[in-house]
Amino acid sequence: MSRTRFRLAGATIALMLAAVAGCSGGEGVDVDGNDTAGAGGVLNAAIGGEPDQLDPHKTSAYYSFQVLENVFDTLVEPDANLEMKPALATEWTTSEDQLTWTFTLREGVTFSDGSPLTADDVVYSYNRIIDEKLNNAYKFGTVKSIEATDPKTVVVTLTAPTPNLLANLGGFKGVAIVQKANVESGEITTKPVGSGPFAVDDYSSGDSIRLVRNDNYWGEKPQLDGLRFTFVSDPTVALQNLRGGEVHWTDNLPPQQVPALLDGDDPSVRSVPSTDYWYLALNQARKPYDDVNVRRAVAFALDREAITKAAKFGLATVNQTAIPQNSAFYYEYAPYTHDVSQATQLLDQAGVNGLTMDLMVTSEYPETVTAAQVVASQLAAVGITVEIRTLDFAQWLDEQGAGTFDSFMLGWLGNIDPDEFYYAQHHSDGTFNFHEYANPDVDRLLDQARTETDQAARKQQYEQVAKQIVDDASYIYLYNPDVAQGWSKQVSGYEVRTDRAIRFRDVALAR
Amino acid sequence: MARFVIRRLLQSAVVLLGVTLVVFLLLQLVPGDPVRVALGTRFDPQTYEALRARAGLDQPLAVQYFDYLRRALTGDLGVSFRSGRPVTAIVLERLPATLSLAVTAVVFALVVAVPLGIVSAIRSGSLVDHAARVFSQFGVSVPDFWMGIMGILLFSGVLGWLPPSGYVALTDDPGRWASHVALPAVTVGLVTASILTRFIRSSMLEVLSEDYVRTAEAKGLRTRVVVSRHVLRNALIPVVTVVAVQLASLLGGVIVIEVLFAWPGIGRLTYDAVAARDYPVLQGAVLLVAALFLLVNLLVDILYARLDPRITVR
Repeated sequence: MSRTRFRLAGATIALMLAAVAGCSGGEGVDVDGNDTAGAGGVLNAAIGGEPDQLDPHKTSAYYSFQVLENVFDTLVEPDANLEMKPALATEWTTSEDQLTWTFTLREGVTFSDGSPLTADDVVYSYNRIIDEKLNNAYKFGTVKSIEATDPKTVVVTLTAPTPNLLANLGGFKGVAIVQKANVESGEITTKPVGSGPFAVDDYSSGDSIRLVRNDNYWGEKPQLDGLRFTFVSDPTVALQNLRGGEVHWTDNLPPQQVPALLDGDDPSVRSVPSTDYWYLALNQARKPYDDVNVRRAVAFALDREAITKAAKFGLATVNQTAIPQNSAFYYEYAPYTHDVSQATQLLDQAGVNGLTMDLMVTSEYPETVTAAQVVASQLAAVGITVEIRTLDFAQWLDEQGAGTFDSFMLGWLGNIDPDEFYYAQHHSDGTFNFHEYANPDVDRLLDQARTETDQAARKQQYEQVAKQIVDDASYIYLYNPDVAQGWSKQVSGYEVRTDRAIRFRDVALAR
Repeated sequence: MARFVIRRLLQSAVVLLGVTLVVFLLLQLVPGDPVRVALGTRFDPQTYEALRARAGLDQPLAVQYFDYLRRALTGDLGVSFRSGRPVTAIVLERLPATLSLAVTAVVFALVVAVPLGIVSAIRSGSLVDHAARVFSQFGVSVPDFWMGIMGILLFSGVLGWLPPSGYVALTDDPGRWASHVALPAVTVGLVTASILTRFIRSSMLEVLSEDYVRTAEAKGLRTRVVVSRHVLRNALIPVVTVVAVQLASLLGGVIVIEVLFAWPGIGRLTYDAVAARDYPVLQGAVLLVAALFLLVNLLVDILYARLDPRITVR
């Protein structure tokens, strides 16, 4: 018996040695995905996590949209400056009363399986979102009906003028045009069919998603043969993959290393200001945060530069309003200087001393956890004791919904039109107004701006909104982070976008 | 023998039923709402209600549970909240990655721990013994994720021998599979090896002090013969149990290591399911792991009877 066992052990040792010898054969690291490569090559992209599913109408995960950006199309799409440009629709007209929008679709567009994409598909896609109350149904709040008057024409009828309709219909791929057959077969969750530059070829759960070039694509043909997305949640490992050549592109870089990486040229790391913002919200349903002086005291007590340094290693722009500088809606207003005596005075006026404030942050977004430490030490200087609660995101959202918090820190990502974020967060009927801010003037302005068709007047209304929100310290805005992405020397033609959309259609891979 | 197996299988069914109930109830206690997580920050009450109804979460708990059980009996473990795909398929497609990692790790651990444990017991107090004890202390006390990161930095970063992460199926390309499995398997295997070395050493020492060993030595048998014929056979019987328990727990997925090395196994699936509060997937994964655990234990009991004639199964 024991002899047999030893022989078995000997055999396993031999096997192990063979295996180790086999993998240290001296050629170094092998590059995945090359086996299917032709002239253009397959680009390996490492993203920070796995998409929950690939149905663009049902997912809300950024990881999903990193992939789907390359698979689907929308009627219009944001260009580099986030202005809406033709995509599936080549032109559109608006009726005199602003209630009827007529879109003309591009000639000869097909889905990647070769079937034609017509006005009926647009009607089907939008009605699916509206009727099934899917994630982005709120973007169609003012839509009365959608009709296909002929195969190339879609007419959208509204209940009220909607100046940001284009942003709603094309801001991101969550409102993409899908194929009815693909939805009805249920395949859309793992093998969606779109009309974009690439098509999903294979989804290996937990491991990778492979895309191949869509030879039926209506735009300029992509140079790459395909893309392979892998899910690497540890940023150190992702960077190692990029350096070792296993991966050609990643956005999952260790934040503390990004400043140094920006100086190097292999890998190329670029960072641009994003349209995201991060903020602190104080619960106005609780005392003493219902007192504007207390909220303003907190705003004066914060040193945004120090918070940015700690949370983003300086890769962010401090901002006291929501809208970043590169947006058409940017409004320069920064009344809060870091001023401890002013803060203390305001707290005295409010009759508050020895305040203990609970601050809810989430491990889902590590920068909130880091920033909270700095916020706590800064508020300690004005006599506010901060008790930080770090929760996982599911629990965090629960407590936010239940209103069981004094304050929280969070970000709002991929913002294009102010209606979307201001209304949800600061209108007294807003769906994300969990801190219970209510100012009738702001409500009125938000309602007005929502349907204001004169762009200049609309911008002015949002400036008034921005100013009032800052003065009331409804949210205490902190910063707009940069978006940093890195790619190997072989990659050319890639541009980092401020809205974090990952587009590989113009990218080439040298080999 | 057959009766024994049948009885054990019936017992296992009862245990599994208990597992489903406990897991189901525990999940209700965990704070966090899967529908809110699925919607993220873009929260809208209408969408929320629609999604809740689609996931069946608007039903009373008892209805949800018995619905689940009824379908589980036919092999249908429900549908994932996150992806809308059948849980049975999701869980089964993750099994090969975890199986291959667990088995490789245990084989590695045995290759290291068996010789080390034996020598360390026979030469108790020697340099080798001290080295083995330092090694096993190191293995059990240093966190595996740290060892993993160090391994990546050394073998993939500095030396460039191995890929830092990723997975290739054994059936697709055994060579590339081996190069990808090496780092995670060694990381996990070192911990297991540390535990096994200590266990084998103490088990050997115990047997070495038995009367029949002294008798064998008194007969004039050479040490090597005494050890291989008398000591090992007896000392390794309890080791089988420890190895089986280790293997079974690795089959549950080594969560941190699978996440670190982007290894598409049960552990990573469980991690993602917890974060998303994807109850059906979590239940499915736990059920599968429990079933594997019971199966491994049953096999060990049968194996015991073969290894040790004093034990019979009835």
